[in-house]
Amino acid sequence: MALLRLENVTKRFGGLTAVDHVSFEIDHGEAIGIVGPNGSGKTTLFNLISGVYLPDEGRVFFEGRDITRLPPYVRARLGIGRTFQIPRPFSSATVRENVAIGALFGTQSPSVEEALGIADHYLQMVGLWGFRHKSAGALTPVEKKMMEIARALAMKPKLLLLDESMAGMPPKEIDAMVQFLRKIKEEEGIAIVSMVEHIMRAVVGLAHRVIVMHQGKKFIEAPTAEALNDPRVIEIYLGRKEEHAPRQSP
Amino acid sequence: MHRYVPLIPVYLLYGALFVIGSQVSGMWQPMALLAFYAALGQAFNIFMGMTGYVDFGYVAFLALGSYGMALAISSFAESLGAGVIVAGLLLALGMATVLALAVGAIALRLRGAYFAIATIGVNEGVRYLIEGARLWGGSEGIIISRPLREAFGPEGANLLSTFWADTLVYLIAMLAAFITVQYLHSKIGYALMALREDEDAAKVMGVHTTKYKIIAFITSAALGGLLGATGWVLKLTYVFPADVFAVHYTVEAIVIVLLGGAGTLLGPLAGGMIYAALKYWLSISFPGLQLLLLAPIILFIVVAFPQGLIGVLKAKAKGTFWERVIV
Amino acid sequence: MPPALAMLLGNLINGAILGSVYGMMTMGLSLIFGVLKIVNVGHGAFIMVGAYIAFWMFTLLRLSPLVSIPIAIAVGMALGFVFFYIVIRRLVGAPELTTLLATFAIGILLEEIAKFLWGPDYRGFNWEVGKLFLGVTTIPLSKIYALMASIAIAVLLYIWFRKARSGTAIRAVMEDREGAQVCGVNVEAIYALSFAIGLGLTVLGGTLLTLFVPVGIHPYMGGIYTLKAFVIAVLGGLVSPWGAFYAGFIFGLIENGSYTLFSLIPGLEPFSMTQFLAFFLLLVILLVRPTGLLGVKP
Repeated sequence: MALLRLENVTKRFGGLTAVDHVSFEIDHGEAIGIVGPNGSGKTTLFNLISGVYLPDEGRVFFEGRDITRLPPYVRARLGIGRTFQIPRPFSSATVRENVAIGALFGTQSPSVEEALGIADHYLQMVGLWGFRHKSAGALTPVEKKMMEIARALAMKPKLLLLDESMAGMPPKEIDAMVQFLRKIKEEEGIAIVSMVEHIMRAVVGLAHRVIVMHQGKKFIEAPTAEALNDPRVIEIYLGRKEEHAPRQSP
Repeated sequence: MHRYVPLIPVYLLYGALFVIGSQVSGMWQPMALLAFYAALGQAFNIFMGMTGYVDFGYVAFLALGSYGMALAISSFAESLGAGVIVAGLLLALGMATVLALAVGAIALRLRGAYFAIATIGVNEGVRYLIEGARLWGGSEGIIISRPLREAFGPEGANLLSTFWADTLVYLIAMLAAFITVQYLHSKIGYALMALREDEDAAKVMGVHTTKYKIIAFITSAALGGLLGATGWVLKLTYVFPADVFAVHYTVEAIVIVLLGGAGTLLGPLAGGMIYAALKYWLSISFPGLQLLLLAPIILFIVVAFPQGLIGVLKAKAKGTFWERVIV
Repeated sequence: MPPALAMLLGNLINGAILGSVYGMMTMGLSLIFGVLKIVNVGHGAFIMVGAYIAFWMFTLLRLSPLVSIPIAIAVGMALGFVFFYIVIRRLVGAPELTTLLATFAIGILLEEIAKFLWGPDYRGFNWEVGKLFLGVTTIPLSKIYALMASIAIAVLLYIWFRKARSGTAIRAVMEDREGAQVCGVNVEAIYALSFAIGLGLTVLGGTLLTLFVPVGIHPYMGGIYTLKAFVIAVLGGLVSPWGAFYAGFIFGLIENGSYTLFSLIPGLEPFSMTQFLAFFLLLVILLVRPTGLLGVKP
């Protein structure tokens, strides 16, 4: 049984079909990438999976259960965690408190003390432990992204949706983050969906396969190297020659 | 255990007010006023301060609490004796809670502006229902001075509506402070903080925002009901719809929370006491002009100090010893 | 015709006419929300101002409320510009709570100033201009004038929105603020203008209201009208002044119709019950369709 399954999921906004009959599956512990140019429907897709939007057509299944109409907080409890493209920290709380929220309201039910401990653990892992008492609003954008990842991980999710989580990071840090995510994936058995627009580095080395979105539809689904080097994919990015994905498998 | 440390100065403060009030002649009323407004601030803060939503009809809870006590006393004073006070408090609690559930069930599903709209008419609505359906004395209200005198004798009645009414307010204030501290450091406090900061992000993190809003709303309403039962009707010995549903009490509650700092323990306390002192002084020097002077104060605070006094202090206290105390 | 039915019909006719004033008094609220996305919680206080303008113009200068219309609009717009530049402008982008509190405080301020200047007593006046006999009911001409004035002003506003540059600019900002900005619209000026017009309409609503209810004018009269305005605004979709105008008629009909019904039930005080009904309706609408029942385009 797949961890996450989307069946013909469709979302329209007025006359615009943002997501058009998209279907795919992810298994436990798998890592996939979702790529596509601006406006191809990636963020809407994420919002449909996490429950921020409800689809007009189609269904979403999580661990075999139909979650199509369930509100976001229930999906979080079931094990869907996510980060946001533009980080959304709880600004006037501390970094530690922010991450603790993930621990408190995710898949586990720890006490407040335990949640703070879990927060400390993940903060150490992402290297923000020194900032734990700092006001979350005072972090740099990259630090906020790291905190978001820690917060999502603290939820102990089964599926982690990373929404452009590495935009703005220098290449070395992206590589470090990819290594970190691979390790987490192995250790905690989390499935990861990494969504990017053009930072292919964030997908290569992490994802076994990639779904390319174009105008709301699933354009191609293939193993990473194959998909990213497909001339049609390069073409939908306006014919620009994007950074070619290196020919190595994860 | 250390979560209760901030309560120590608070309880000492209330104790000091009580002692001053009872020992220094002429100070009972002013001290009781300080305690009342501190309590009002803390009760209102549990909702407005912690969730960031403004309930413009808050006074309705105090009003219903007053009715609860008045109804209990006018019906059961003879039969229950001193127990009628307990009955009154329970009834006040019950009525305020029922209203909170009724309004909350609808209003709390709504966001920001729509929520404000839903609450804006609560005090008018409930008042007109009472007057229109001639409930509980209709527009004439209920007078409890006679049942009190008949049940407790003139001296007993007097003692109830002076000493005991105000003492109960002190106790409610202490209860409100306790609940505040409980919430702040618990899962509830974290949930409220998250939904206050970013409600949509909170939902995605797993916070059942509606549930926690309801918890805060009912708690705040219930405490308000208790306050109305004691500080209003028990003290004044009458409840009159045009009086108890007056929107200006909501204004006062808002000012107090803004003045001191929303969402904190000490904030509404400080705000309440400053406001009460100000009101007392104004009522002597410029009677009838309190709100006239308050309105621009609200405007000023809202624009210049979104965090309130305690909020400013709290930000400065981060990382120091005082962080534990200025909560 | 049985007397109850006659009374009902008479009340409904009155209700429809009253509805035009209710609509006028709510248009400002919807305009301000549609353009600035601000809920003017102090709405009722401005209605009170309009009522006092009518009262003082009549009592001191023998001017009929109709003649007071331009004065009301002018005063409302002046207040709008003043409050916009002193308070509202600084709150653009602030959390919702802040602007709600600000408009609330402005309302309280106006009420207290009124109490300070004119005392808390109830005021009223009497403008006798004859009546119109309509079979089931007799309507004072003053109410007919109110109806005509409301419709005229609503039409003028509509034309201005469609034809005039500034009116079109306002519509643009309502639809898409950033788009309008990119097209060269001075959004802040539009905000100020919309706020001023919105308050102008509201004060005007209060003045026209006195043609209907020329008594009971006092500093705190606004509270119940704030509630009614919100019911009407939500009915009309909250963002559209035209939706508010139509919804006003519906509300007027419901209010007066229900008055008849309530007066038939013993043990109820019909006036207070109709006021309670307004609140009840508000909750029902918010529960069922918060986006309004009349999705009228701005």
